[in-house]
Amino acid sequence: MGEIKQIPKKYIINVEHLNKQFIVDKQPMEVLRNITLQIEKGEFVTIVGHSGCGKSTLLKIMCGLVGYEDGTVERNGHAVVGPGPRCGMVFQDHRLLPWLKIKDNVGFGLGHLSKEERAEQVQKHIDMVGLHGFENSYPSQLSGGMSQRAAIARGLANNPTILLLDEPFGALDALTRIQMQKEILRIQQEQGTTMVMVTHDIDEAIVLGNRIVVMSARPGEIKEIISVSEAARRRNSEDFNYVKKKIYGYLFVDSEDDYEEQYPIEYQI
Amino acid sequence: MNTVIRKTILALVIPVIIITIWFYTTTYMAIPKGILPTIPDVGQTFLEMLKSGQLESDIAVSISRVLKGYCISIVLGVTLGSLIGMYRPMKELFVPIITVIRQIPMIAWIPLIILWCGIGEVSKVVIIVLVAFFQILVNTQSGIESTPKGYIEVARLYKLGKWKTFIKVYLPHAIPQILVGLRLGLGGSWMAVVAAELIAATSGIGYRMSSARSNMQSNVVIVCMIVVGLVGVLMDRGIGVLFTALTPWIRIENENRKEG
Repeated sequence: MGEIKQIPKKYIINVEHLNKQFIVDKQPMEVLRNITLQIEKGEFVTIVGHSGCGKSTLLKIMCGLVGYEDGTVERNGHAVVGPGPRCGMVFQDHRLLPWLKIKDNVGFGLGHLSKEERAEQVQKHIDMVGLHGFENSYPSQLSGGMSQRAAIARGLANNPTILLLDEPFGALDALTRIQMQKEILRIQQEQGTTMVMVTHDIDEAIVLGNRIVVMSARPGEIKEIISVSEAARRRNSEDFNYVKKKIYGYLFVDSEDDYEEQYPIEYQI
Repeated sequence: MNTVIRKTILALVIPVIIITIWFYTTTYMAIPKGILPTIPDVGQTFLEMLKSGQLESDIAVSISRVLKGYCISIVLGVTLGSLIGMYRPMKELFVPIITVIRQIPMIAWIPLIILWCGIGEVSKVVIIVLVAFFQILVNTQSGIESTPKGYIEVARLYKLGKWKTFIKVYLPHAIPQILVGLRLGLGGSWMAVVAAELIAATSGIGYRMSSARSNMQSNVVIVCMIVVGLVGVLMDRGIGVLFTALTPWIRIENENRKEG
C-alpha cells in the first residue's frame, strides 16, 4: 500500500485516487473510480448516490473491512490496512448480536478494558443514546429505532475519532428516522466525533451533512462535493430546497422536468 | 387452565384405549402368559425387579455406556462440526465421506463392531459414538455455517481473533442448533445402546430383555420396555431444560413473537 506520507493531522480520512474493482463471475467490475476525498476533524460528511454506486464499499474501505489495490487511503495519518479501534461503524441492519444483552452488545469492542472501566464506558454511552433502563434487555425486545441507538452506542463506545454510518436509518419509518437524525446531530455536536454517513435519502444528506458527496452510478465517481450552510440544513428552507434541487440535478440528469412538477418554481433559485 | 386440562385428557385417550384392550384380552381371552402377561403381573414384576435392585443396576449399566459414548461424541462432534462449518477446505475434505457413512444404518455397523471390539464395553461405546457423533456433527456444522456474515464482520471490525470470533459469534449463534443435535444424539444413543445390548451383551437393560425373551418372561420384557421409554423421555426433558438455561434470548424472542 506504499509508504506512509506525511499529511496534515487535521485530515481524519484522506482518500486519493482510489479505484476499486470486484471480480464478479470472473469478470472485473469497476465499483469506484478515481475517488479523492479529505475529511477533516469534526466534520459531518454525507454521501448520496444510487443503490450500487459503491458508496457502502467506499465506507468499508475507509474502515478497513474491504481492501483496496489502487490509490491511497489514510486514516488518522496512517495507511489503512484493516479495522482499528479509532474507527467505529454502524450498519443499516443494526447487527446487534441477539444472544447478548444491550450492555454486552455496547461493550462488545471493549474487551481490552478492565471490568470497571468497561462498565463505565458502556453506561456512559447507553445514557448518551437515551437507552437508560434497557441495559439488560435483549435486542429482540427493542424497536428498530432503539436497536439503531444501541448500535450507535456500540460504535462510539471506544471513543473513536471517526464514526462511519452505512444507511443507518434506511430501515426505519419516516417519523423515527427524523427523530434519529436529530439524535445523531445532537450526539455529533456533544462528542465532536467526525462522522461520515452513506444514505440514499437526499433530505437526510442535507439535514445532517456539513458537506455532501454526490456520487454517480456504477462505477462510482464523485460528481460534486457540496458544502451546506447552517441555513440550508433547516428542512424546507429556501436554501434547503436549492441544495436539494442541485443534488437532484446530479442524480437524475434526465428528470429535471419531473422535479419541477414536484416542487413549485418559487423554491428554485 | 382449560387448555391444560384439554391437553391432558387428549394425551391420555390412546393410552387408556391400549390398556383397556390389554386388560380385556388378558382377562377374557385365553392368551398364554408367556406371550402377553396381565397388567397386575407386570406391575408386580416391576416391583420385584426394583426390590432386588436388578432393574436399577441394569439401567445404570446402560446409562453409563450412553454417557461415555455421548461425551466422546459431543467433544468430537462439536469440534469437527465447528471446523467444517468455519473452514471451506475442511468441509470439502469431510462432508462427502460423512454423507456416505451416514447412509449406513446403525444396525449394519454391529456385525463389524462385534468382530473388531467383541461384545464388551468398547463395542457399545463405539456404537453410541457412531450414532450420536454424526447427529451432533451435522447440526453443529449447519449452525456454525449459517452464522450471518454481518455478525462476522462486526467481529472483524473489533479485531477479534479467530478463537474469540468463534467463542463470541459463531458458537452462540450455533448453540440452538447444536442443542438440537445433542437432543437427537442422546435419543439415538439410548436407542442404539438398547439395540446393541439386545444383540450382543452380558449386561444392561437390553441384555435383560433378550434373556427374558429366551425364558418366555414376557412380563420382564414389557417392564424393561416401559422403563426404556421412560428413561428416554427423561433424557429428552433434561436436554430441554439445558436448552432453556443456555439460550435465554431464544425464549424472549419466542415470547415476543407470541405477543406480536
